[in-house]
Amino acid sequence: MKRGELLGSLEHIILLALARLDGGAHGMIVRREIEKRTGRNISIGAVYATLERLEAKGYVSSFTGEPTAERGGRAKRLFRVEAAGNRALQISEQTIRSMKAGPRNRWESI
Amino acid sequence: MRYDSAPALACWLLESVVPARYREAMLGDLIEEYNLRTKSASPLTASRWFWSQACRSIAFTVWSSLRSGNWLISMSIASGVYIVMAILKLTADLMISKLVAPQQATQVVLAPVVFLSAAAIGGCVAARARRGAMISLALMVMITVAVSIERKVCAIPVPWWYEFGFLILGPLAVLITPALIGLLMAGTAQPGK
Repeated sequence: MKRGELLGSLEHIILLALARLDGGAHGMIVRREIEKRTGRNISIGAVYATLERLEAKGYVSSFTGEPTAERGGRAKRLFRVEAAGNRALQISEQTIRSMKAGPRNRWESI
Repeated sequence: MRYDSAPALACWLLESVVPARYREAMLGDLIEEYNLRTKSASPLTASRWFWSQACRSIAFTVWSSLRSGNWLISMSIASGVYIVMAILKLTADLMISKLVAPQQATQVVLAPVVFLSAAAIGGCVAARARRGAMISLALMVMITVAVSIERKVCAIPVPWWYEFGFLILGPLAVLITPALIGLLMAGTAQPGK
């Protein structure tokens, strides 16, 4: 991750969800995890498009599972967070923390 | 193409729009979740959920492709097909008016047949080249018909629903014909299923 380059909000949430689901997860599991934790009902298309973008950046990797009858004969694609993805999460967290640090902010008084 | 009991039209729409890179995995996830939901909820609720996911995923994909610039290639292909379609339709219209049926009433009856045939052929050609091109073509057809209605291009007096039919059925012919052909071919390839 280049200096000054931050994860988008959806990228950040999806990467965090994937990091929580150790050992790889497919798109629907990621979507369920986000819905369970944040209440946001994200479309599966948005999840996969973002996972693709994260894979192109080298933050996640994917591998194909076995096709099953419950899936209409379609194979699963499982994603897992790579070292670069973990670094990107750390940098984003640090950036947010440093922006929040300092004098009392407006949102704290609400 | 196997959709089990999941809404076939929604599946086809997704297959038409979603990039091939993650199409199979995404559809598989949706079908698996749909099958799980049909066990715990009514089929209607599960279908509603499936459709909601499909529509929102399509909207997201179209918006993403517009932002990434992929639409330029799709639009170029769609424009080419659109020109060929227009030539095809004008030639057919000319032949009908000059040779086959010069009467206005016959032209009113034959015009939708020619229009829908041209739209269906155009849809199939665009879908073969690129799925995004098919959607662009459907939009172009819709805009053309809307402009024609607004400018009152049709010289023959016709009821409002006649022109409205062109507006709805034109883009639908572009989008649905390749799907119908696809389903038909899948049916012939797997006669047992």
